[in-house]
Amino acid sequence: MSEIIVVTSGKGGVGKTTTTANIGAGLAALGHKVVLVDADIGLRNLDVVLGLENRIVYDITDVTEGHCRLRQALIKDKRYEGLFLLPAAQTKDKTAVNPEQMKKLCGELAAEFEYVIIDCPAGIEQGFRNAIAGAQKAIVVTTPEVAAVRDADRVIGLLEAAELRNPALIINRIRPKMVRHGDMMGIEDIIDILAVDLLGVVPEDELVVISTNRGETVVSDERSRSGQAYRNIVRRIKGEAVPMMNLDDSGFLGRLRRIIGLK
Amino acid sequence: MATEIKNSPPEPWFKKARRPKEIDEMIDENTILVRRTLRSGQKIHFDGNVVVVGDVNPGAEIVASGHIIVLGALRGVVHAGASGDEQAAVLAFRLQPTQLRIANHITRPPDDEITGPEQPEIARIKDNMVTIEVFQSSDRYGNLI
Repeated sequence: MSEIIVVTSGKGGVGKTTTTANIGAGLAALGHKVVLVDADIGLRNLDVVLGLENRIVYDITDVTEGHCRLRQALIKDKRYEGLFLLPAAQTKDKTAVNPEQMKKLCGELAAEFEYVIIDCPAGIEQGFRNAIAGAQKAIVVTTPEVAAVRDADRVIGLLEAAELRNPALIINRIRPKMVRHGDMMGIEDIIDILAVDLLGVVPEDELVVISTNRGETVVSDERSRSGQAYRNIVRRIKGEAVPMMNLDDSGFLGRLRRIIGLK
Repeated sequence: MATEIKNSPPEPWFKKARRPKEIDEMIDENTILVRRTLRSGQKIHFDGNVVVVGDVNPGAEIVASGHIIVLGALRGVVHAGASGDEQAAVLAFRLQPTQLRIANHITRPPDDEITGPEQPEIARIKDNMVTIEVFQSSDRYGNLI
């Protein structure tokens, strides 16, 4: 039984690609066979985030146009045994692929991998329609900003119209301290509007920037809180019931826990 | 998402008992029931009344020639009485619209309002002004809206 999951958001820059990379790496670290599909044709990023840019020979359009076999375009990750990437084309645009081709491609990938995770481009045009065409489940990423939540709401509506019901929500880059002071939307505020199931909350973390720029994933970092958040998300995707982690570490106990390395 | 419904049930073969005339006047059959939340980008244009069981999120839009009733939080844009009916009302469990229009009146919430309403409210035109009041289940004439 394989799962085909699309990671989408509507708004750009909220962390779709980072989330895709970390979920993929997290699942692979637990021994699963995972393929990440970069559907952002023309603005590919997933290869860079994974540090695999220099290994690309064929891309997704070469596969759909029949210039190569699917196997030839898949790039094996350098750290995780079961992790593969199907890169996007950089020199073409979203019209280079159509939804039917994506559906067929996802079906072929699902025959070989346990998890097919699709990194959706920003926006709601053809790139979005391509990315969701073959998916069975959807993850919507948002940040605690009014504009991002608005776009997430729009995307959830479009996903429902495309029969992708009950998408799971990831709230990215939350700053518990700002939420506490009332300067940032809280988890409840976002859930109140979007009314979907919460898959996880990832706190703002400099380590994400550092690891992303190095072409690494933070999910493998035992000491980072965002890494812990991604590990929890991965376990929830696998069907485990994992309680939401306490983001509020301002109190004495929280600081103490941080110092002794318990999260 | 323009919705159109027809109101033409088949004629029964037996003689139907007629409703008293006064009740007939109270019934308005031209109403649609929307049984889900309207999300950003979704809109309903309807010649009649619209009842939503769910929320109307920011970025969603309802335009109706009659009343608009939202059994949930109304955060989007609504236009009741869109073909000029000044008797039209907007009623919501939580009335927090981005913009509220009735007939040719356009209003928006005050810029400094931060707390939302705690109880159902109704907006309608009184003395040529859009007035928002706490919703009472009926006024002294027994009229809901």
